[in-house]
Formats: sequence, structure tokens, C-alpha cells
Amino acid sequence: MDAIAPTQRKVALICSHGGLDEVYPSLILANAARQSDIEAMIFFTFWGLDAITENKIDALHVNLAGNASNTMPTVIAGLPGMESLAASMMGKQMRELDIPGVREMMGILDESGVELYACELAMKMFKREKKDLIPQVKDVITAGDFYDLSVGAQIIFT
Amino acid sequence: MATAMDLGTANAILTKLDLLSVEIARIGERQRQTEELIEEFTPILKEVMATATDRLDHFEKKGYFAFGKEALGLVDRVVEGFSPDDVRQLGDAVVSILDTVRALTQPDVLAIAGEVSQVLVRADEAKPIGIVGMMRATRNDDVQRGMAVMMELLKHVGRAASAASKSKKPRAVVRQSARLALPAAPTKVDRSAPKRAAVCTPRNEPVVAATVIDGVAFTADGHVVDPNAWTRELGEKIAKTQGLPLGEVQWKIIEFARKEFLETKASPNIRRITQAVGLSTKEIYLLFPKAPARTVAKIAGIPKPAGCL
Repeated sequence: MDAIAPTQRKVALICSHGGLDEVYPSLILANAARQSDIEAMIFFTFWGLDAITENKIDALHVNLAGNASNTMPTVIAGLPGMESLAASMMGKQMRELDIPGVREMMGILDESGVELYACELAMKMFKREKKDLIPQVKDVITAGDFYDLSVGAQIIFT
Repeated sequence: MATAMDLGTANAILTKLDLLSVEIARIGERQRQTEELIEEFTPILKEVMATATDRLDHFEKKGYFAFGKEALGLVDRVVEGFSPDDVRQLGDAVVSILDTVRALTQPDVLAIAGEVSQVLVRADEAKPIGIVGMMRATRNDDVQRGMAVMMELLKHVGRAASAASKSKKPRAVVRQSARLALPAAPTKVDRSAPKRAAVCTPRNEPVVAATVIDGVAFTADGHVVDPNAWTRELGEKIAKTQGLPLGEVQWKIIEFARKEFLETKASPNIRRITQAVGLSTKEIYLLFPKAPARTVAKIAGIPKPAGCL
């Protein structure tokens, strides 16, 4: 209720992995930022591109092999279908808690004013074009553009 | 010619008669033998009957009949304790029980069981092995065959178990679900309500008043300390400090938030608000541009929404 207006806070999140469990932190943090009146943007690069790619977004997996928190033996975790099984189990738990799915979350973020960007270099590497991405993606930008856009922001790498 | 023929015929008849008389004599002999047998047997039978009576008397004295009576009593009790249905089922089962017993007592099965029991007798002599030892052991032919048998056994047990669970009465299932339902921890959030965005439960920190404006206490982050101290006028005042005009739609949202908090003791987050009032996230942000759920809670005189969404 004080008259002193604090400077506008801003966060720039970098999402570099495409696992279901690796994408959510960026999405939740960006959403929470907007809920706290903090400006937010997310830069999707490398495997993180999967989270904004039209034909991948609904089938993100959970990485089991090489995940220290996974109690399943690696031999079993490496079996075909185990990752999508884990993803569907995690998705079920999230639905029980009423956490929106990745696609719905992207819509909410866009409506909340979070700016979503794709990494140009990663797009070239994975041979993807702007039309392969979900419509909420504002632009395909370079690493240099990212720094220009995130002036004054706190940068969080996930 | 005719005389010769007659002679022949008469010879044949005589022969037949002879045979007949021999037959009659044999029958007579048998009859006599039977009579003799009965004659001879009568005393023996008498003897046997006497002995049998003695024996029965002896048994009676020994208590066999008392035992028999008891046994009948036992049968009575069984009849009382089991319904005809049970007995019928038992009757059906007897065949399979006998089949099982027969199968289990086949010489080769008994031989296997004998060998296994020998191993079990010497179980304390067995050396402990780890997973590597187990892998090494699987190279042994006998172990491989044993594993195949065990696998087959497991398959059948599994099949039988699933068949049994299919035919199981629903009563057992109900009992289990009741047991599962018991330890459910009581929560402040009403779980029965569909689609509740309560990802994190509200923290139960004591609310500390930081400032008092017009006799109403506020927390450091600008929420009314006591929701009951809230009035519509106070809400309008708070909105004015945020630079927000309150129209019909805004009031609809604020009233929903108050109602929700009073019912569930949890302030609604933006997801809950959009679901309840039927507006999009974008529209809520247009109405309350800065931190919408928090702003709504501030104006509605309720605590800051908990949770991550």
C-alpha cells in the first residue's frame, strides 16, 4: 500500500530439455511469475524445442535412464515403452492435481502475457520451420536476440 | 424200404432217450448234492451265527457301537453346520480333490517331492549366492530345467489366480476398498468438488498485521487480516488504491472468490477463477492486469492464494 512503486521485475527462462519433467519447471515458473506481476519470457532451445513443436507437444516423455531420482533399474527403464508409460503415469498424477497439460499450459502462458521464443540454431539443427511450431510461439530468434530481449531480466536456465 | 427207415428212426429215438436219461440222472445227482450241502451247512451256519452274535456282543462291550453312535452324532452336527448347498459344493469338489491327491501321489511326483525335501533338510548347508552366482547357476542344465518347470508352474498359478479373482464375489472387493478408504487423511480442501486447482495446500502461518488502515488490519503484502472485517465498501477502497474500477464482471469474480474462500478456506487461484466464472485467462488479465488472483484476493478481503498455478 506504499506509494513507492518497485521497479518492474522480469525473468527470462531458457528451456533446453524436452522431457515432460524437464519442461514443466519453465512453464510453472513463467506462470507463477505472471501471477506475481513479474514479466516472463521462455527461450526454447535444443530438445526444449519439442515442447513447442506441434507434433511433439502432446507426447513428451519422461527420461528414466540416467535419472538418479528414478528408482527403476536402468535395465528395465531402458525397455521400449517404459518412458511413455512413465510419462502417462506422470500425466495422470498431474490431471489428478488439475495441473494443465503442456499444450493447455502454453495457451495459458500466452494469455497471461508470457512471450515464447524458439532458438534459430536449434531449429536449423532439427530441420524445423516456424510452421512446425505451436501458434503461441512469438518468434524464432538467435542467441543474440535473446540477450537483447532479456535486458533487465533475471535469466534462469533449465 | 419203409421198415429200414423205421428202424433207423427208432434207433435215433432210442439214442436220444438214452441221452435224456443221462441228463435226468445228472440233475438228480445235483439236487441230491444241494440237499446234502444244505444239510451239512445248517450246523455250520448255526455255528457262524452264534459266533457272529458273540462277536457283536464283544464289539458292543468294547464300545464300537457307542463309537458308531457318536459318529452319527458327528454327522448330525455336520448336517446342522453345513447347508445343502455347501454339501453339494463339497460333493463337486471331492472329485477334484481326489484328482489332485492322485496327481500328487504319482510315483514320479513323489520322487521329485522326496528329492526336494532332501534338499530342504540340508538347507542350512547351502552357501549364500548373489545375483552373479544366480546368473552363473542358470548355466546348469538341471537349474534350467527346474526354471522351466517353475515358469510353467507360475503360469498356471497366475491363470488359476486370475480365474479365481474373476469368480470372486464382489463382497471381498467392497471390504478391500473400505479398508483402503479408511486412512484417507482429512484435508481442508473439499476433494469431492470436481476439478479443484489446489496444487499446494494453504500454509497455516499465523497472519501478522503489518498496517492498520481505517481500523482494518492489513498484512505486509496487502491482504486483509480478518476476512470477516471485510465490507463491500472496503473492497471498493482497496480496488481504488490499485487503480482498478470495479464493474459488474469484476464484482462477480470478487464475490466468487469470497464465497470460495469461506467454503473451502482456500483462496482461488487464477485457474479456479477461469473455470468457475467462465472467462479466459486473457480476459481475467484484462480485468486485473497485475497478478490477477492476488489482486482479486486483496479486494475480496481474503488471504493470498497458495499454490503454484
